[in-house]
Amino acid sequence: MNATPEHAGTRLIVSLALHSAAIIAFQLALMQLISIVQWHHFAYMIISVAMLGFGASGTLLALAREKLLANSDWLVPLLMTISGLCMMGAFPITRIGFFQFDVYLLFVESSQFPVLAANYLIYFVPFFTGALAIGILFIKHTRKIGTYYFSNLLGSGIGGLLVLFVFGNIYPQLVPPLAGLFSVIAGLLGIGRKYYRLHLVIGILAIATATVLIRQPGSIPISQYKSLAQAMNLPGAKVIYSNPDIHGLIEVVSSPALRFAPALSLSFTGEVPVKKNIFVNGNFYGVIPQYSYEQTTHILDYTTQALPWAIQEGKTILLINAGEGAPLAHTFSRQPTHVDAIIPNAGVVKMMKTEFAEESGGLFLHDDLQIHTKEARNFLASVSRKSYDLILLPQQDAFGGTAGINALQENYTMTLESFSLMWEHLNPDGLISVSTWTDYPSRTTLKLLTTLVQTLYDKGITEPEQYIAAVRSWGTITFVLKKTPLTEQETKKIRAFSNELFFDPMLLPDIRAEERQRYNMAEDEDFFSYVDKIMAGDRRFVEEYGFMIQPARDDKPYFSQFLKLKNIRRMAEIFGGGQVPFLELGYLIVLVTLVQSVFLALLFIILPLLRLRKSRQGKGGTLLYFGALGIGYMFVEIILIQRFVLYFGHPVYAISAVISTMLVASGVGSLISGKLPAIPRSPTIIGLLIGIMLLGYTFLLTSVLQWTIAITLPLKIIISFLLIGIPSFFKGMMFPLGIRFISEYDVSQTPWAWGINGSFSVISTSLAMLIAVESGFMVVMAVAVSCYLIASAVFIFHRKIFRQNPKPQSIH
Amino acid sequence: MKKKLIFPLLLLVCIAPEVWADSFERDRNAMVRSQIRARGIRDHATLEAMRSVPRHLYVPAAQMRFAYHDRPLPIGYGQTISQPYIVAYMTEIIRPKPDHKVLEIGTGSGYQAAILAEIIDQVYTIEIIRPLGDQARRKLEAQYNNVHVKIADGYYGWEEHAPFDAIVVTAAAEYIPPPLVEQLKAGGRMIIPVGSPFQMQHLMLVEKKEDGEITTRSLMPVRFVPFDRAD
Repeated sequence: MNATPEHAGTRLIVSLALHSAAIIAFQLALMQLISIVQWHHFAYMIISVAMLGFGASGTLLALAREKLLANSDWLVPLLMTISGLCMMGAFPITRIGFFQFDVYLLFVESSQFPVLAANYLIYFVPFFTGALAIGILFIKHTRKIGTYYFSNLLGSGIGGLLVLFVFGNIYPQLVPPLAGLFSVIAGLLGIGRKYYRLHLVIGILAIATATVLIRQPGSIPISQYKSLAQAMNLPGAKVIYSNPDIHGLIEVVSSPALRFAPALSLSFTGEVPVKKNIFVNGNFYGVIPQYSYEQTTHILDYTTQALPWAIQEGKTILLINAGEGAPLAHTFSRQPTHVDAIIPNAGVVKMMKTEFAEESGGLFLHDDLQIHTKEARNFLASVSRKSYDLILLPQQDAFGGTAGINALQENYTMTLESFSLMWEHLNPDGLISVSTWTDYPSRTTLKLLTTLVQTLYDKGITEPEQYIAAVRSWGTITFVLKKTPLTEQETKKIRAFSNELFFDPMLLPDIRAEERQRYNMAEDEDFFSYVDKIMAGDRRFVEEYGFMIQPARDDKPYFSQFLKLKNIRRMAEIFGGGQVPFLELGYLIVLVTLVQSVFLALLFIILPLLRLRKSRQGKGGTLLYFGALGIGYMFVEIILIQRFVLYFGHPVYAISAVISTMLVASGVGSLISGKLPAIPRSPTIIGLLIGIMLLGYTFLLTSVLQWTIAITLPLKIIISFLLIGIPSFFKGMMFPLGIRFISEYDVSQTPWAWGINGSFSVISTSLAMLIAVESGFMVVMAVAVSCYLIASAVFIFHRKIFRQNPKPQSIH
Repeated sequence: MKKKLIFPLLLLVCIAPEVWADSFERDRNAMVRSQIRARGIRDHATLEAMRSVPRHLYVPAAQMRFAYHDRPLPIGYGQTISQPYIVAYMTEIIRPKPDHKVLEIGTGSGYQAAILAEIIDQVYTIEIIRPLGDQARRKLEAQYNNVHVKIADGYYGWEEHAPFDAIVVTAAAEYIPPPLVEQLKAGGRMIIPVGSPFQMQHLMLVEKKEDGEITTRSLMPVRFVPFDRAD
C-alpha cells in the first residue's frame, strides 16, 4: 500500500496541505461568525465539539481500518470534497428556521437544546470528514509520516495566516465558501484518473455553489439580545458603515433615538445629543463624537468620569483604550497640551480618520494627539521616559452587568503590574482615574479598589485613604489614585463637584459616613463596610468574600473573572439557581465546554478499545504518549500567545507569530524526524530536551521578553522566531516518531493514537483556560513540561509498558 | 362509532376554554400567593390587580404555559415581560392612587400598563418598537379605556399630559432622560429597572423633592443574605 508512485505521492502531499489550510481557515472563520451571531465563548463551545471530529475520525479508523485503507484511493479525495461542500453549507444552514439558535434563550427555553444539538451536528460533519481524510493518509503512509505531518502542519500554518489576512479585507461569511473550495480542489488534486470524471462533476458543482454563496453571502443574523440588534429595533435605524477588519466586523448605526450619556447626572437639564453608534462584531464599541476645536464642555462633564478634571486640569494625558471617541472629545474639551491615546483597534482609527473625519471635527487628526494602535502595556513599557498628569482608564463593566461574558478575557491593562507601570509614568502630582458601572452583588467595584490599594502597598504606601478618592452617582463610581496625598483644597473640590451634580463622595481622606448616601442610597447596606475593610487592608475579608476580588496579576490576567467554583452552590441558594448562569456566564460556558469535550473525547477513545481488545499490549503507553503530546503542544501554544500579546502589543500579531512559527517549525521538525531511527531512544531524548527547554521558559521567558520589549521590530521578530521556533522544531518530531514506533509495534493502534491526539488537543484548550484562571500561567506551563516528560518516560520504560521488544510488522 | 365520538368531542370543545381559564386563574392566584404576597407586597390594590389581569394573554403563544412562572419571559425584539414579582413591586413602590396620572416608558407586552390601568384613572404608555407597540395597543384598548398608547421615542416623555404623579420606566437605560425628570411632579416618584434581560433585576427609585432636589435609592426587591462570606 505504501508503494504510491512518486508523482502521486507528491500530489497527495500538496492536496493534504491545501485541505489542512482549508480546515483551519474554516475553523477561524466559524469562530468569527459565531462570535458575531452570539459571542466568543459560545463560538468556542460549538467549535470544540466540532473539532472533536478529529477524535471521532480516529475512532472510525480504528474500527474500520482495513476497509478504509483498502478504498483510500477514492475515499480520501471524496472525503475532502464532502468536507469542502459541508464547509460551504454549514453556516447558511444554521441561519434557516429551526436551526437558528440563541444562547441567551438556552436557560429559559428548553426547545433550544435540540437546536443546539443540531448546530453541533452541522458543524461536526465538515471537521469529521476532513479529519478522516487526513487520518487515512497518516495511517496509510506511516513510514513517511514525517513528510505527511509536515504537509499537514505547513498547510495549517499557511491557512491560519492567510485567513487572518483575509479577515482584514473581506466579510467573514465569505471565508467558509472559499475554504470549502480549497478542500474541493484538494480532493480533485488527490484523485487518480480512474475517478476523475465523477470528481470533475462534483468540482463544478462546488465551484457553482461557492460562486453563489460568495456573490450572495446574505446578512449575518445576530442574536436579538446583542446590542447591535437592539439598536436596529429603534426607529429610523440603519447601518451607514460596514467594514470587515482583522479585529472584527465594524459597523456604524445611525438613528434619531440613539443617544449617549452614561449615568448622566440628574441635575443635567439640557438635551442629550444624538450619536451614531459603533459596533464591533455586533457589540457596542463606542460613539462617533461630534467635536469642535472651540468646544469647552462635554456631556461627560455631567458624569462621575469628570472627577479627575474637578481635582486638577491635567495638561499631558494618557488615554487608555479610548476606542470610542467620547472620552477623547471630553479630554480635548479640557484643552490639554498633549494626549497619547491607546486605541488597539486600528480599523476604527482608520475609519475615524477618513470616513468620519469631518463629522467628528477632525478629532482623530488633532495636532496635539498621538494615537497608538497597540496594547497599553506594550506602549508603557516602550516609552519609559514619558510621564503624564492624568492617566484615564476605560470604563469597566457595563450597564446592568455583563453577565460574566468577559470573565475569561485576558486584560493586561487591569493587572497589578500594569498599575505599577502606570504609577511610574505619572508626574509628581499625577492621577490615575478609572470608572465602573455599579454592580450587584458588588464585584467590579471591590476588585478595582483592592487593585488600587494593593498598588499603593506595593509602592510602600501604608495609608491608602490619603491617596484614593471616589465619587458615586446613581449608576457609576469613579476612582482616582493620586501619586501624592490628596490636599485639603482637592477634597473641597471633590465635595463641591459631587454636590453640584447630585453625586456622593465615597472615599476621601476625611470622609464622613453621612455624606456617602446623601443623594444616592446604595442597594446593599453592607457595601460601605466592604469598602472600608478593603481600605483598612483586611486581607481575610478579601479572601473570604463570595466572589474573587483579589487583584489580577499578569500570571492570571482575568480582571473580570469573579466566580469561585466552590461557591456555585451557595450562589444558587442565595440568588436562585436560574440566576447563576447570568451572574457568571463566561466561566460556566467554559466549564460546560470542558465537561462535554471530556465526555465525548472519552467516548471516542474508549470506543476503539473494544476493537483493540485483541491487539497487543501497550495501549496505556499509547494513550499516555499521544494524550500527553496533545495537551503539551496546545498548552505551550496558549502560553506563548499570552506572553507574546504583551511583547508585540497586539493580539493578532501575537497569534499570527506564534501559530505560524510553531506550525512551520514543527512541520520542519516532523520532516527531519524521518531521518531519525524509529527506536525508543529518539522520542525519549527529544522529549527530555523539550521538557528541559520548557522548564527554562517557565522561569525565564517573561524576563527575556521584558528585557527586549523596547527593541526594534526586526530584532523582535528574530527573537520571537528563535524562542517559538526552537522548541516547536523538536515538538514536531514527537508525533511522527511515536506513530512510526507504534505502527511497527502494533499497527492497529495507530488510528487510535491519531484520535487520542486530536481529542486531547481539543480538551486542552478549555482545560488550559481553567487552569490559568484558577492557578495561573506558570502552572499551565508546568503541566506542559510534565506532559513532555511523561511522553519521554513512556519510551524510557517502553520495555515494561509495551511488555516486549518492538518487532517490526508488516504495516498493511 | 363516529357518532359515539361526536358527543365527547363537542363536550371537549365547549368546556376546554373554561377548563383552561380556570387553570390560568388558579395559576394566577397561586402566583400572587407564593411569589408576590410571600415576598412582602401588601398593597391591596396592587394585589387585586395582579389577581385580575390575565398575564397569559400578554405573552407570546409559545410562552403561555410559563406565563405564571416566577421569571421574566422573552417577547421578541430582544425584550422581555418582567417577572411577576417585579411588576408588582414596581407598581407598589410608586404608591398608586386612582386619581393619579402615570406615565410608562416601554410598553413592551402591555402587562405593566394593564396592571396600572386596574388601579389608576389615567395611564399613558410609550413604546419605541412599533410591532410591540401595535400589538400591546390592540390588547390594551380591547380591555381598558383609560390607557393611552403612543409609539414614539420615550426620551421626550409625553409633554401634553405632564406633569405625572409617577413614571414607570420598564426598559432599562444607561441614562435617565432629562425631559422625564422634568415631567415628574414635585414629590413624584420614578421607578427604573437596572439589569440585562433575564437577569435578576434590581430597581432604582428616583424621587423629586419639593425643592427640586433629586435623590435616588437603589432597591433590592428581594432582600438577599449579604454575600460576603464563602462558608
